[in-house]
Amino acid sequence: MKTTGWNLKRNVTFQLFVLPALIGYLIFYIYPLVQTFIYSFTNYSLYHLDMEWIGIDNYTRLFKDDSVIIGIKNTVIYALLITLLQNGLAIPLAIALNRPLKSRNGLRLVFFAPAVLSPLVVGFLWSYLMSSTDYGLINQALRAIGLNDVNWLGNPKLALYSILLTQVWQWTGYAMVIYLANLQGISKDYYEAASIDGAKAWTVFRQITLPLLLPSISFNTVMGMIGGLKVFDVIFAMTGGGPGHSTETIVMTLINKGITESQFGYGSSFAVVFSLLIMIVAFIQLKVLKKWEERLF
Amino acid sequence: MKTIDSYRRSDLILEILLIILALGMVVPIYYLFITTFKSSIDATLHPMWLPVEWKFLGYVEAWKAMNYPRVFLNNLVITVSSVAGVLLFASLAAYSFARRQTRLNNFIFYLILIGVTVPFQVATIPLFRLISNLGLIDNPAAVIFVNIFTLISFNIFLIKNFINTVPMELEESASIDGCGVTGTFFRITLPLLLPVIATVAILNTLTTWNDFFSPLLFLQSREKGVILQEVYRNIGKFSVDWTAFFPMMVLGIAPLLAFYVFMQRFIISGITTGAVKG
Repeated sequence: MKTTGWNLKRNVTFQLFVLPALIGYLIFYIYPLVQTFIYSFTNYSLYHLDMEWIGIDNYTRLFKDDSVIIGIKNTVIYALLITLLQNGLAIPLAIALNRPLKSRNGLRLVFFAPAVLSPLVVGFLWSYLMSSTDYGLINQALRAIGLNDVNWLGNPKLALYSILLTQVWQWTGYAMVIYLANLQGISKDYYEAASIDGAKAWTVFRQITLPLLLPSISFNTVMGMIGGLKVFDVIFAMTGGGPGHSTETIVMTLINKGITESQFGYGSSFAVVFSLLIMIVAFIQLKVLKKWEERLF
Repeated sequence: MKTIDSYRRSDLILEILLIILALGMVVPIYYLFITTFKSSIDATLHPMWLPVEWKFLGYVEAWKAMNYPRVFLNNLVITVSSVAGVLLFASLAAYSFARRQTRLNNFIFYLILIGVTVPFQVATIPLFRLISNLGLIDNPAAVIFVNIFTLISFNIFLIKNFINTVPMELEESASIDGCGVTGTFFRITLPLLLPVIATVAILNTLTTWNDFFSPLLFLQSREKGVILQEVYRNIGKFSVDWTAFFPMMVLGIAPLLAFYVFMQRFIISGITTGAVKG
């Protein structure tokens, strides 16, 4: 009898441990999310504060709205490229820093440093650096070596990629530090054996380093994708979505429709589509990485 | 015998290339700092040189214009409360998820994982209404609650993964000795979790300190605002005397940069422990 009472008490305590997290999460995260879903089927806006059901009208309107489609397109391009570039640069960088270099700690300190800066301030700083006025440092440098000015942020075809560049600068060191830690956990024996066998550098990378890096590759690419899909601060600081809609991303469009234009219902339908998109992307990524892991081992 | 880890000639070349790359990466930060001491003419004519004439008044003016001590304190209160709150609630919940895999617990865990992927920004409209209905507009508690319960998913995820790697024997023997769940957690498990707690504490600090979205949404008076809102308020105010904005940017990043420089070893090893094990 005593044991059941004891066990019951233990189980209740364990369940109580979850409670503070769960209650706050339900109130501040799930409840607004569910409401967003409900709003998305109404005409709720500043002019229709007494909302009415309008079925899927918001959704059909959404896929005809050019500014929404541009927002999705920009965001997907941005998220894919930031993930690819950041990881494509961070892996070789981490492998290089894993050599017994004398300046290793100093280099690591410098490469990681941009990650602690606020993306908003980084955005402001780089808009000065990329400015087309006479103080823009990058254009000054281009002129000094006899090249023409580039309209980094004013050219609608280029602006998104200019912003991307600043974020590669800011986040590559972060991904690198995670790869580096992973590399330092790999036993040296693998490499000793490969070197005795006379394996080429590329083979060593392909057969040993890459498979053993997979845990951090999953972490970095999934986090990179999610961070890329919800990018806001830096774009807000650098272009505010312009010129035109050329750098408008999903979160920015969401704020414009939902808050600035007060189209609560319509903005919510966009939020729902975005949530589905981000969940699908994360799911596919984890599946692919898992497959990859099975194949490599 | 030469081992795989001895310094080769190729490493010297590698080292030189990496140092050049690192110098290139520092240029924007160097430019940011050096420009704060220059007049706008000096900065336009000689952007990379040391100032012709050092001017320090910019910092004094920026400090006053931003009401710096006030906003710094606001930032500090928000960050410390958010980080402490999320660490406490997340480690309690993660412990329960890791050690009691009942159907109910697993369901709640998957529900909480949604928060890792879908950013709370998608629910901005209802969240804003909720906060106003609770009467929390212009109250730092709004930002603190939103921080805690939107960061909590990722925190629980990392901490639970870590607990899975901690052997259960110690907890079991504590429980045989008559130690309750709460006692076991605080006396036995929590100390073992310190590496991952350090990791998430650092990640949470970076995120909440640099957060601009929630303060922008919920804190409207200057009395309650954070540092970044003051930086934002002043952008574009100095079109002629443009270097006057630079000390404000520096004051915007200085606290975390100082934190990083003094604690760098701890921060870098901290960030990696949780992420790689997880």
